[in-house]
Amino acid sequence: MAEPSDRNRLDEDEGSDEEEEVDDSGYKTVKDAVLFAIDISDSMLRKPPPSDSKKADRDSPASAALKCAYQLMQQRIISNPSDMMGVLLFGTRKTKFHDEHESSKVAYPHCYLLTDLDVPSASDVKRLRNLVEDEEESQELLVPSDEPVSMASVLFCANQIFATKAPNFSSRRLFLVTDNDDPHGGDKAARSSATVRAKDLYDLGVVIELFPISRQEHRFDREKFYDDIVYSTSISDLDAPAPLVPDNQELKSGDGISLLQSLLSSINSKATPRRAVFSLPFEIGPGLRISVKGYILLKRQQPRRTCYVDVSGEKPKLVQGKSAKIADDTGREVDKAEIVKAFKFGGETISFTKEDLAAIRNFGDPIIRIIGFKPLSYLPFWANTRSATFIYPSETDYIGSNRVFSALQQKLQRDQIMGLAWFIARRNATPVIAAIIPSEEELGERGEQIMPGGLWVVPLPFADDKRKNPETTVVRTTDDLTDKMRVVIEQLQLPKGVYDPKKYPNPSLQWFYKVLQAYALEEELPPEDTKSATDKTVPRYRQIDKRAGAHIISWGESLEEEHSGQRGTKRGSDGPDLKLAKRTKTSAPDAPIDEEMRRNFEKGSINKLTVAALKAWAEKKHLDTSGKKADLVDRIEDYFEHK
Amino acid sequence: MADKEASIFIVDVSRSMGKKHNGREKTDLDWAMTYVWDKITTAMAGGRKTLHFGVVGLRTDGTDNPLSDDEGYANISVFQSPKQCLMPDIRALHEKIKPSNVNQGDPISALVLATYMMGEHTRKLKYIRRIYLITNGCGPMDTDEIAEIAGKINEDNIELLILGVDFDDPEFGFKEENKDKVKAENEAILRSLAENCNGVFATMADVISNINIPATRDVRPVPSFKGDLTLGDVENYESAMSIDVERYPRVRVARPLIASEFVRRSNVGPTEDSAQSSHTLGRDGDDAHLANPSHGLVSAKNNPTYTVEDSQAPSGKREVERSELDKGYEYGSTVCHVSEYEMNLFKFENRKGLEIVGFVDRNKYKRFFHMSETNMIVASRINEKAKLALSSFIHALHELETYAVARLVVKDGNNPVIVLLAPEIEDENECLVDVELPFAEDLRDYKFPPLDRIITISGKKLVEHRYLPSDDLMNAMSDYVDSMDISTFAKDEEGNPCEYAALDDIYSPIVHRVQKTLQFRAVNTTEEIPPPASILTKYSQPPEGLIQQAQPYLQKVLAAANVKKVSPKQKGRKRARSVDKPLSGLDVGALLAQPSNKRTKISAENAIPEFKQLLATTEDITTIKDAAQQLAGIAADYIRHSLGDSGYGRAIEALRVLREEMTELEEPGVWNGILIDLKEKIVKGKLGGDRKEMWWRIRANRLGLVDKRVSEFSGVSEEEAKAFLTARLP
Repeated sequence: MAEPSDRNRLDEDEGSDEEEEVDDSGYKTVKDAVLFAIDISDSMLRKPPPSDSKKADRDSPASAALKCAYQLMQQRIISNPSDMMGVLLFGTRKTKFHDEHESSKVAYPHCYLLTDLDVPSASDVKRLRNLVEDEEESQELLVPSDEPVSMASVLFCANQIFATKAPNFSSRRLFLVTDNDDPHGGDKAARSSATVRAKDLYDLGVVIELFPISRQEHRFDREKFYDDIVYSTSISDLDAPAPLVPDNQELKSGDGISLLQSLLSSINSKATPRRAVFSLPFEIGPGLRISVKGYILLKRQQPRRTCYVDVSGEKPKLVQGKSAKIADDTGREVDKAEIVKAFKFGGETISFTKEDLAAIRNFGDPIIRIIGFKPLSYLPFWANTRSATFIYPSETDYIGSNRVFSALQQKLQRDQIMGLAWFIARRNATPVIAAIIPSEEELGERGEQIMPGGLWVVPLPFADDKRKNPETTVVRTTDDLTDKMRVVIEQLQLPKGVYDPKKYPNPSLQWFYKVLQAYALEEELPPEDTKSATDKTVPRYRQIDKRAGAHIISWGESLEEEHSGQRGTKRGSDGPDLKLAKRTKTSAPDAPIDEEMRRNFEKGSINKLTVAALKAWAEKKHLDTSGKKADLVDRIEDYFEHK
Repeated sequence: MADKEASIFIVDVSRSMGKKHNGREKTDLDWAMTYVWDKITTAMAGGRKTLHFGVVGLRTDGTDNPLSDDEGYANISVFQSPKQCLMPDIRALHEKIKPSNVNQGDPISALVLATYMMGEHTRKLKYIRRIYLITNGCGPMDTDEIAEIAGKINEDNIELLILGVDFDDPEFGFKEENKDKVKAENEAILRSLAENCNGVFATMADVISNINIPATRDVRPVPSFKGDLTLGDVENYESAMSIDVERYPRVRVARPLIASEFVRRSNVGPTEDSAQSSHTLGRDGDDAHLANPSHGLVSAKNNPTYTVEDSQAPSGKREVERSELDKGYEYGSTVCHVSEYEMNLFKFENRKGLEIVGFVDRNKYKRFFHMSETNMIVASRINEKAKLALSSFIHALHELETYAVARLVVKDGNNPVIVLLAPEIEDENECLVDVELPFAEDLRDYKFPPLDRIITISGKKLVEHRYLPSDDLMNAMSDYVDSMDISTFAKDEEGNPCEYAALDDIYSPIVHRVQKTLQFRAVNTTEEIPPPASILTKYSQPPEGLIQQAQPYLQKVLAAANVKKVSPKQKGRKRARSVDKPLSGLDVGALLAQPSNKRTKISAENAIPEFKQLLATTEDITTIKDAAQQLAGIAADYIRHSLGDSGYGRAIEALRVLREEMTELEEPGVWNGILIDLKEKIVKGKLGGDRKEMWWRIRANRLGLVDKRVSEFSGVSEEEAKAFLTARLP
């Protein structure tokens, strides 16, 4: 929902910005609030027996959960900067709620609100880290209470936190980490009041995600208590987080994975609530419509933009920008209704009414409409304008959407076919032609989903968007040279012959947030030399040399031979020769070589060279490099004429 | 830079051109002028200063031209000497180009005049020169000098285009029945003249039918990167490879012309009801539009103001000057001040370069990893050896069906991106095409249930389910998809099957729609804007012929799929009355019905759940109304006790739930009554002071009255609901 002031963003010139990207920003700001509730009990605090194995657990379940919370908090600051998060400990001896809650008449005994539900601040991060890293602090706080905590009161505590701190959020989730599958045993009254409080949470729209921890000697049994507390999110409700790590899978250590790792991966898969970017009719043929939702699974993460800060006070404060329109002649402020849109045309302006402008831009209702099918091979590599959007069926508007979508997806996947579609993403969005391409579901080693199966909407360029190739001439390779290059390429395949994005974190983004975090937490900045050390995108030079070095050298030698041979036959070898560089570097010196320039002079094509090349050459010859291109050309032509 | 161009239109404005022929609604002149106007305004849309147009009127009432001393040049007038056309010129031409009362005047003399004007204007400079002769070929013609003029046109390198109204053109497929004898003779003469000049001779209908085929604009290639494509570490290893390359854009989305924002100058025009006056702008014969070039508009500018929260200030905010501000970054809710100098610390310094990371299998590549517009990479244009080297690389990739993954830094200091390099080999060209790939952070880890099987919560795998297609549906879909293949649906010039909707045939609807509309408005100030050209919406529907062929298959899919539209009413209807259950299936409803849990009075702390549960246990309208009133009261209290806007969020949430539930229960009237009451309280300041901001939020969250469109049980019309949103009381 649109909040009046979206944190700190300058009210950008909405009207004139007519970009029509498929983007989640324009559609709906869906905010997410996660409250992490961690059970503190003797068993949760018990450390695993010491072991020599490197992979063995060192963390107590509680500490593993806190580490997860700590990591999630840092991660969300980067990926979802406007989302909220809080951490609640329950079962502690100490009790603490909102710092200054005016109506604190309700107490929640043995619930300790470690960091309140809010957009995390640097101090929240610090707080959590201290608890994770500082023994003393954790020993003081992480003390289980003597009496059992009432789950009803834990749940109502969460209820109150969500109701007051994150009202109207479309996604509110309670992450519950515990190893106690039966907190109330035979106490029927306690059980039923917990059940009622759980229903309250459900009616408030809070989803409970349970992260049950099994111990070696005890398997977590959800049926004992938690199946009365947790509600399933139905499959048709796609905006709800899908229970994809099957809900009944318990977390435990073993199989070489530590509890921390398994908890992390489980939490990571739920870290971001799934958000639809559009909900549209998908017309597969005239009269055959189903409903689909679009999801952005790929989006370039950018570093935060700078903001204005006011430093006149004690602490730097965020400055809110607001933009009003003023008339250029008098400077008076003008109302939105007064604004007239006009185009510059032929030295004047041509204006349209708002209705006309809307009509001009209107090409019909939002839809994805298939206009035909082609083999996937008809989709050229170059035909792309931006990242694709994933679509998945939804039963909301058409019953039967799932089965029809599935039939289409399987057909396209099996026969490697794409649909061609007329695509209008939103009301007033400009139409594009898109390729509808299938993706196959991909599972990881443990059966977890890596890439969902579905269809992708790939916006294609129009004839207007395709640029011409620059004018250049081709020097064709020879079979020998190609063969030598083939050997090189064959030596340097990436693992399994695929690019796995997960292996390549964005080095500049990582660095940015490392520095920013150091700033925020008032710590020492990361040393400069760690910059490249953590950059996974830098090629592995040593391996390249080891595996392909000899082949590259052999290719380089053939290249030299071939090149001098071609020059010999085609143009004679009168010009000054290129030195046979030891390294197979083909880079010309920055300036064109004399022979090149002379040839151009003879052909009268010096002006085809770039200004930079001309300047570089002129400089080499100690000619004047000032003036326009024509001057340079004149000067160089002069040079040859008088030589 | 594009070449300079000079075009001169000779337009026949004779009395006969003012007549309508062959069932057309427009006069011959108006009809022919659509072509001329299109030419001129297309150039104007591009805004190029080096496209010059001249216009010569043929068979004008008077005579006004530099050669008029010679009597052969009577009834010919220069309307405009060659120059860049601007809006005032359009208006001036509009005035001049009108049917005359005469039919005499010699086209060949007009040609001589145009050639003379062309010479005067372009001299020996480099120009593309064009002369258009537009006539219906009806009047007399003096053919004495025709050979000389043809020679002159050829000599001056002028392209001659003779476009005739209702001229016969077998190639286009037009023949005028009962053609006038003089016209037939003239046509023959003009045709041979065009042929002698290597010019164009065409019938008007032909060229007008081509107006709507959009012209794509060529953009001069500018390299986005020049540097070395390297494999290995050039600085430290003898074995490293390095090829001198340049990178150019391949795909860049063309944007439509953008409107700027203006306001009416304060001292002119209507001031009272400016909203309405903008309706009339450009329509309703607004002659001011024609006569008054700037029509009283002055540009609207942004005037940013900055505020910072300040508990001392009465409004809670304090205004600050831009010049006093520093920059910084937000880390969560913490604001970090970063000085100008320190900003550099955040940068990930990098040397420019294009370094190969490794190679991947083309057949395993996921096409949806494409993240960006694409570029192409060629060897340095002045380096023959680099060309040879890159060629071997391109061919090797191609033969191995392999792509290269590379790390690209476009300029020193820029951030690195990972790009995928694909070989492209065409007749004349070889290059690599690159596109950006995602980093780890760019992937969003959303999970979706598989499409080909259902896994139940208990972990059971189902292959038959209403979400899964039956074999019938699978087969029908397969046949339908095959029947809708368009890869050979179109015909090429020789009539052979070829690809339908090839990328080169699809034009950007918005770019050309905006441009054509502007062009139209530039010369037609009063008429309604025509709908978009059909070529722009051609690909919005499957081709008619194909759909007919595919119809039987489509019918089978429809039968097997049995898709049912959910009516809006159904969607809004309260779901089955059963209370939602937790995973165990425990009947929470029964639990809630127990006296100890029974809720009749809604508490402010737990308002929403209690409200929903209360509604779930009753059908009684009095109870429903009472519950609604209770919640409304609580929402009002949230507002009343709100410090600043602190309680607004909760109030909005309560109101949203209230509105949803009342709509679903088909009691919109209850909600509407509550909202009317609440608005009055807000506007009259009865909820603890100025709460206008709260009303703003109600609007922003679309919590207005429920109107008839949303619920048939509502007595409120759409207009009333809209009007109600203003923060004024009726």
